[in-house]
Amino acid sequence: MAKKIKGPQVLTANLLSDGMVVFLGSDGTWRASIDAADMARTEDGAAALEARAAVFVRTNHVVDPYLIAVDDTGSGFVPVAFRERRRIAGPSVQPFFNTQPNGRLAFAG
Amino acid sequence: MYRYDEFDTTFVRQRVDQFRDQVNRRVSGDLTEEQFRPLRLMNGLYLQLHAYMLRVAIPYGTLNARQMRQLAFIADEYDKGYGHFTTRQNIQFNWPKLPDVPDILEHLADVEMHAIQTSGNCIRNVTADQWAGATADEFEDPRPYAELMRQWSSLHPEFSFLPRKFKIAVTGAAADRAAIAYHDIGLRLKRNAAGETGFEVMVGGGMGRTPMLGATVRDWLQKEELLAYLEAIMRVYNLHGRRDNKYKARIKILVHELGAEEFTRQVEDEYARIDAPRIMPPPQELTRIKTYFAPPAYEELADQSPELARRMNENTDFAQWVDRNVVAHKQAGYAIVNISLKPVGGVPGDASAAQMRAVADLAEDKSLDEIRVTHEQNLVLPHVRKADLYEVWQSLKAHDLADANIGLATDIIACPGLDYCALATARSIPISQDISRRLGDITRQRDVGDLKIKISGCINACGHHHAGHIGILGLEKRGEEYYQITLGGSGDENASIGEIIGPGFSSETVTDAVETIVDTYVGLRQDGETFLDAYRRVGPDPFKEAVYATH
Ligand code: SF4
Repeated sequence: MAKKIKGPQVLTANLLSDGMVVFLGSDGTWRASIDAADMARTEDGAAALEARAAVFVRTNHVVDPYLIAVDDTGSGFVPVAFRERRRIAGPSVQPFFNTQPNGRLAFAG
Repeated sequence: MYRYDEFDTTFVRQRVDQFRDQVNRRVSGDLTEEQFRPLRLMNGLYLQLHAYMLRVAIPYGTLNARQMRQLAFIADEYDKGYGHFTTRQNIQFNWPKLPDVPDILEHLADVEMHAIQTSGNCIRNVTADQWAGATADEFEDPRPYAELMRQWSSLHPEFSFLPRKFKIAVTGAAADRAAIAYHDIGLRLKRNAAGETGFEVMVGGGMGRTPMLGATVRDWLQKEELLAYLEAIMRVYNLHGRRDNKYKARIKILVHELGAEEFTRQVEDEYARIDAPRIMPPPQELTRIKTYFAPPAYEELADQSPELARRMNENTDFAQWVDRNVVAHKQAGYAIVNISLKPVGGVPGDASAAQMRAVADLAEDKSLDEIRVTHEQNLVLPHVRKADLYEVWQSLKAHDLADANIGLATDIIACPGLDYCALATARSIPISQDISRRLGDITRQRDVGDLKIKISGCINACGHHHAGHIGILGLEKRGEEYYQITLGGSGDENASIGEIIGPGFSSETVTDAVETIVDTYVGLRQDGETFLDAYRRVGPDPFKEAVYATH
């Protein structure tokens, strides 16, 4: 049975190779930018994202995938949870370590 | 310094080979993440918010120049050119890639280092007074015992899967710089009326969500009995520790629930049963270890250095640095140099590869090849000739390592918090940077005097906030960071747990609150009274009134 969801969801994980934060894109690739993520508005849609991510777990491309709630701003997605906002922004203390170059292709699955 | 024998070398090399195989199997898919996670954690490799993090053990915080250079090499070659020294006297690399980690471990093994037991429910890196073997106020050097415990606890089959992680700290001095009362086991070497040294054994201290100070279970333990007695403590814990509940699994909860008296009785019963001679090392083994910690080749010097006195007269900045960062050595003509990793507005505990190399060079040239890491996230050159202090200061200055703020308001402990740590609820580093900038004026800092501000990014308290004169705990409420302030904590020989002063503060107002607390202290202190003394005299009320009236 599909999980209850609250609002729009995107699916995030970390790359196995370097731990980088990635999002499952609509083109079936993992993207560094949350704005390139595929978004689900329904429970079935969210379950489908999870099912697609599970394939990449089995092929050892990503680890620990999970859904996060986002606000759809029209021009992109902003995570609802503070932790997720920080997670995608990279360390705030050393701006040159930031991990989210917009739209960069992290891994072509 | 201790040097690996053949056994140590083989053991660490084999472990690298084993982990290389495990990483290969993970990458090829023969191991799932569930299977791999405990294996990587046993080798100090975490998956944090944005990347992997490798935690490397620095046994009792002691390094030589070659080891420090190797850490710099790893930072440059496999990370982003820096490392983070932690409150466990370890170093963390924040950006290693999984396939590179076996090579990193190989480079560490080349200089007799590893990342084993820096994670998991085992006995972690034993920590010690960072001035061990050098300080003038020491009864006996605790490092041979720390090394003995390191060997005893490494892959100890009985203690590799404890109810929870386990931390031991040891000091041999009257002043406690190792925060022993806040450890699962805290050991203090002391001297009796007959002039012999032995251990006081404290058990059940800890930080985390339930801070507690350790209780003394043995006021006097013969040094030869150390391992057997520790084994008795570990057995009682292993048997009765709360494996059913992670939040109650630390030994402090067991000591608290049983009561110190009953816990002590059980330990003594176990100790009476134990086959102590089998556990205790033969005397020649301790003698062998002690030879590695024999005093280095000091020169015979006059204690006073006219050169030092002249330079201090000529240069106020240098004199202030000597005043705060340099402390008395037990050897005439030598001094201990503390290197601050807390530049105003910087990231506490971070050092660039270039800084690590600079410290390594100085250690080799001017400190008999020794470096220490402190639990307050600073570095130490333990054996510097007084006549060399000016030259050392100039070299440090050239690498932004000469902040004269040891023990002052900007010498802040901050854990990685939500800038790196997957468990965090709030950021801690930007708060420390903000406070550091606000209070950073050196004249003001010197006027405020001794002040320990400690910040954690979650209830796990890696930033030791419970032991801060001013402690700050970052939490999250309704999607925003907020910060709870505690006052009056201390990790020294008169340890105390900080008390929460009231409702928390936003990230925008917490620095104002800290400044108000500092100003309140300045307003009410009596002659020569430190922040902690003043707090203990007046209690929290004047601080609460000031903070909550203005915020
Ligand atoms: S206190 Fe919390 S946030 Fe800070 S390092 Fe420890 S676990 Fe992470």
